[in-house]
Amino acid sequence: MAEARIIIDIAHISKVYTMGEEQVHALRDVSLQIRAGEYVALMGPSGSGKSTLMNMLGCLDTPSSGHYSFDGEDVSTMDDDDLAAIRNRDIGFVFQTFNLLPRASALRNVELPLVYAGVGASERERRAEEALENVGLGERMHHRPNELSGGQRQRVAIARALVTNPSIILADEPTGNLDSRTGQEIMTLFGNLWRSGHTVILVTHEEDIARHARRIVRLRDGLVESDTPNTQTP
Amino acid sequence: MISAGELSESIRIAVSSLRSNLLRAVLTTGGVVVGVVLVVLMGWTINGLDAIWEKTISIIGKDMIYVDKWDWAGGRNWRKLETRKDITMDQATLLSSSLESAEIAVPLVRQWGASFVRENLSIRGAVMGTVSAYGATPAATTEEGRFFTPIEDAEGSNVVVVGYAIARTFFPSGGALGQTIKINGRPFRVIGVVEKRGFLFMDFIDQQVFIPLEAFRSSLGLTNVSFSVAIKAGNERMLDVVRDEAIGLMRNIRTVQPGADDDFSINEMKAFDAQAANIRTGIWIVGMGLTILAFLVGSIGIMNIMFVSVTERTKEIGIRKAIGAKRATILVQFLVESALLCLVGAIIAFPFSQAIVASARWLAVDVFDFEAATAVSPFIPIDLLIVAIVVSVIVGLLAGLAPAWRASRLNPVEALRFE
Repeated sequence: MAEARIIIDIAHISKVYTMGEEQVHALRDVSLQIRAGEYVALMGPSGSGKSTLMNMLGCLDTPSSGHYSFDGEDVSTMDDDDLAAIRNRDIGFVFQTFNLLPRASALRNVELPLVYAGVGASERERRAEEALENVGLGERMHHRPNELSGGQRQRVAIARALVTNPSIILADEPTGNLDSRTGQEIMTLFGNLWRSGHTVILVTHEEDIARHARRIVRLRDGLVESDTPNTQTP
Repeated sequence: MISAGELSESIRIAVSSLRSNLLRAVLTTGGVVVGVVLVVLMGWTINGLDAIWEKTISIIGKDMIYVDKWDWAGGRNWRKLETRKDITMDQATLLSSSLESAEIAVPLVRQWGASFVRENLSIRGAVMGTVSAYGATPAATTEEGRFFTPIEDAEGSNVVVVGYAIARTFFPSGGALGQTIKINGRPFRVIGVVEKRGFLFMDFIDQQVFIPLEAFRSSLGLTNVSFSVAIKAGNERMLDVVRDEAIGLMRNIRTVQPGADDDFSINEMKAFDAQAANIRTGIWIVGMGLTILAFLVGSIGIMNIMFVSVTERTKEIGIRKAIGAKRATILVQFLVESALLCLVGAIIAFPFSQAIVASARWLAVDVFDFEAATAVSPFIPIDLLIVAIVVSVIVGLLAGLAPAWRASRLNPVEALRFE
């Protein structure tokens, strides 16, 4: 079987922050490739650089040195607006704290990436409804986030991530604010998404969560410590 | 730059943000409200003065030219005018009869401070001696009776056409026609009452009477008086032609040497235009100064609250950027919000302005009996409202620029981390 195309290709990137007089090396010479259809967990203790790497992968930030090519495009030198376009089109974010707009209904939250993509109103609504139905929230799409449970909020966030049909889904501690039963439901949802063909990248510090992925990349002190396939999925 | 969907999203966000902070928004717009009220009041005042001016100017008639010894507008060297020779009756009559381009041209002589007596009532006013043709000018149109006739001109009959105020004083219940009043002790029969003309500083017009020139000569004498020639050009377009002809003829009649200055003045209603323009400019400068000040204060308030809004919504900006909002999108979102804030200010200001305008007019007309104010509209004109809206939106956009710029430049990673 021919190998799937490389979506994420990071070569020797580093990230240096200047904090006062001190220079902090959040990432030192990290290289990583992720192919379409993979299910990868990025693991590491706090301070390991995994958040920095996630920001980099999500095109929220650019490396100090090295190259990052996303689906064949060099994003390490792109400006803010080009990065915004890539995030809008190719990356679906799922955050630990959900990051929904509190005053907008679930439907409006899910529509938002399509607004920025320039999709017309009626198609926007249709696609947002479809995405919400796919995560099992067809009944609650007119509720505001504060009228939904944590698990439901995270489902809205997932629907928002999926609605643009992105190349990758990037989930940062997606179960961190959920009880374990709801967390399991969310992980099942990610598993289903992966099985239906999506590329999923999980950022987590919990072994239990990371075990759902098929490949685990461990970071320590800004370096890749190990990069192994995971066969013992739950 | 941004799509229609993004713009309508921006408007939706701005409205919802405003509604969730309604009290704060309303308080913030205070400066803008004052600014808009001032713009509207200034515009209304200038419009009102224009209306009063228009009405005033129509009393004498826009197409009227007066050839006089004196200059109405002043400003020239008074002593120099004093050395001019009086315009004699012959000169005035000659000019009147020679002028070809004008519709009407008549000699005119005036005595100020004449006494008018009717039974035990006595008042003072001006007596004008002129000829029958003057009756066709706006200043001498009668509402009752008639102006004198060419026969009365020729005979120098002791007939009088009285001004509105004089008729009202002597004959409060009407019936002036056929009655007799004494002018400087001589009896004159009232044959006509001039329409009410007095208005603003033209009030003296209602306090004068017209008698035939010959009667003026025989009863009041012509010593120490200077004649005028009243010319009705016919229409405003003819003014230049008529003026040129009158100047040429008069220089000839008074044998002014070529190259020497005219030894007479050409007076037109236009002479007052400069004064009216000065008043207008004065109001405009003061109004503009206050307006700019109010908008400046207002825009600082708006800018301040927009900075607060940007800070409060840092997280939201981060989320929007993460899911694909470009810089321009965020910029427009906050500009729309700031403009909307000012628009709210303008809308709050309108009822205030209307109330002020309506009560100002009510005070002037009904309380202080300032008759000129009736020419002024009690409503704010639509075009002023549109100007006020446009100005406030522009102020909003300018005031929102710095906060919106800051919002658009936020780093998404840091913005997302903000709690």
